[in-house]
Amino acid sequence: MELLIQTIINGLLIGGIYITISAGFTLCFGVLHVIDFAVGEWVMLGAFITFIISTSTHIDPFLLLPLIFVMFFIAGYLLQPTLQRVITKNKSNALLMALAFTFGISVLFKGAALTIWGFNERNLVTILSGKSISLLGINIPSLRLGTFVFAIIITIVFLWFLQKTRFGLAVRAAAERQDVAGLMGIDSNMINKVVYAIYTGLTACSGALIGAIFSINTEMGVRYTIFAFFVVVAGGLGSIEGAIVAGILLGLLNSFISVYIGGQYVFLVLFLFLYLILLAKPKGLLGKGW
Amino acid sequence: MRKRINFLWITAFLLCLALAVLSAGCGNKEAATTGDSKEQGDVFKVGVLTSLSGAEVYGGNITKRGYDTWADTVNQKGGIKVGDKQYKVQMFYADDQSDPASGADAVERMITKDKVDFILGPYTSGVTLAAAPICEKYKVPMITGSAESPMIWQQKFKYTFGTIPAVNLTASYPVNTLVSDIPGGAKTMAILAVNDAFSKAVAESFKATAEKLGVKVVKYDIVPAGTDFTPLLGAIKGLNPDVVAVGGHEKEHMEVIKSAKSLGFLPKAFLMHYGVTNPDFVKNLGKDAEAVYGASTWTSDLDIADALFESSKKFVETYKTKWGDEPDYTATGCTVAGEVFGAALEKLGAKPPLSESDREAMVTVLEDIKVDTLYGATSFAKEGDNYHNNTGLEGLTIQIQGGAVKIVGPKDKKLAEPIYPAPAWDKR
Repeated sequence: MELLIQTIINGLLIGGIYITISAGFTLCFGVLHVIDFAVGEWVMLGAFITFIISTSTHIDPFLLLPLIFVMFFIAGYLLQPTLQRVITKNKSNALLMALAFTFGISVLFKGAALTIWGFNERNLVTILSGKSISLLGINIPSLRLGTFVFAIIITIVFLWFLQKTRFGLAVRAAAERQDVAGLMGIDSNMINKVVYAIYTGLTACSGALIGAIFSINTEMGVRYTIFAFFVVVAGGLGSIEGAIVAGILLGLLNSFISVYIGGQYVFLVLFLFLYLILLAKPKGLLGKGW
Repeated sequence: MRKRINFLWITAFLLCLALAVLSAGCGNKEAATTGDSKEQGDVFKVGVLTSLSGAEVYGGNITKRGYDTWADTVNQKGGIKVGDKQYKVQMFYADDQSDPASGADAVERMITKDKVDFILGPYTSGVTLAAAPICEKYKVPMITGSAESPMIWQQKFKYTFGTIPAVNLTASYPVNTLVSDIPGGAKTMAILAVNDAFSKAVAESFKATAEKLGVKVVKYDIVPAGTDFTPLLGAIKGLNPDVVAVGGHEKEHMEVIKSAKSLGFLPKAFLMHYGVTNPDFVKNLGKDAEAVYGASTWTSDLDIADALFESSKKFVETYKTKWGDEPDYTATGCTVAGEVFGAALEKLGAKPPLSESDREAMVTVLEDIKVDTLYGATSFAKEGDNYHNNTGLEGLTIQIQGGAVKIVGPKDKKLAEPIYPAPAWDKR
């Protein structure tokens, strides 16, 4: 019984990690219609920058999250116009162009990081590292719980922002039909820039948390690019609610397979599950995606 | 129009940046740093194939450091002596991207384009297994100073040698120490490993030794790379084994320790083969790395005489001044791989560039060679399951104590007492 509860908790917490990576990613797809191949590299850069600031200033990574968000918000805001150039109007095959472009960005980031920071492994230490909350023989890792809480907060803020604010309304309008939204006086270039900036900011923050939970090196990105794809495709491309459901479901699945079937089958079963979802519900679990 | 020009500028800038990074980071052969560039025939061309990008970039660079330490020292001393003349070595680097297929391509390119005389082999066993057939095809000898999977030697490649004894020869040592040497030793063990050639071989060796000694293996799981260890350790915690043994590299070892601590789980001992001897393991985990067991064939505590560096202590000094960290047994194995080639060339007496018959003769020389290096007596098996592997060395049980790697077994070799069970996480 204890093992069962522990497995459920571990699964939920893995789900939290999945959600943090995929929340921004799915928004980015929903509005810009860009599948960002560099999502894992934003995670990696977020982790590295947090590590560097945290070790030189001795400020806890959790307190640095707002700063990291702002830094990467600015980086994304400045980068987006270049991406926009590649994907607009006169280019046929915008989706493919975006894929190629972001793939290039990911290679560039990875190479640059390797050149600048070298090949060493890093470990980001937070105030919650290594601690756990013990409850009736069950252990809840504090850092993962912190990440889960972060995931919940950002999704609530996200949904509120999209549903209740004027800007959110404009974002939703632009997501539906960019040209019509433009005719209604919505500056879609502006919307695209802000959405991409939110995405890079959030993904970098999730990188800080992931760096603390696992470890940091310049090659860590690929693993999280795969996770992000996974969750977002299962949840429906562009659907935030879908990403939450898919993240938690996949986290639970991961945990249960590890414990009750065997670690060697984790990815096998996860991919099989994804395949079945695509077969039965191509628009994602909630049927809200693209 | 203005916007368009801006865009062009930005694109051009990004392209230049990309090219700069690519040529610096993943350069294939430009980085021939050591040795003055001389005309062909004056230097031995040495190919280094290792992981300079991809998942194993850390270990790949450790091997590169080992090889470079050898090359730089040899060149400082004038070069390899052949007859009455000395020849310097020139290094050619190829990146296998931590991927066997890319490794095979890279080594073929190095042999056909750069025309290297011999090859210092990859960091991972997987890449070694892919590169060895290419070396057979072109008849170019390769010594790996790192790969440890017994599968390599079972394939009986004629041109491939290795300075580190395979894991099935070394992994039994720490298990023996934990079970037999320590009073009230381990009775149960859980084994986790990542699914790659080396890590899996580690797990198999741990399991075989444990079962031979009557230890109950309560869990045995080979997981794909990138698996989250937390749920697995949650399950293992419920089984309460004395020892949790892990097959993997430094990254996985760090993640296992972090996961276990965050679950409040501490077995009496953690046992990990390679990776805990890397300086990064202790640096990153600090006190959490204490009392972790591992296997090795060499530590920087040893003092062994050596022809090139005078002694292993001097080698450690040279390495430390050069790279800032202490060498582990892989970096050292790589330096020794270079030394063995040097000794073979002296014995062979062949001038560069080596012809096909020279290279063939070199294999015979390597098979019969016995060199006393800073690693201990190095020689290669001529037959059996460890064909062309260095079987001259004995394994060591090591443990992290006070942030340093200490030899705690076997009994006649230990320099410190093993700590068992490990002290609680908060009492370190």
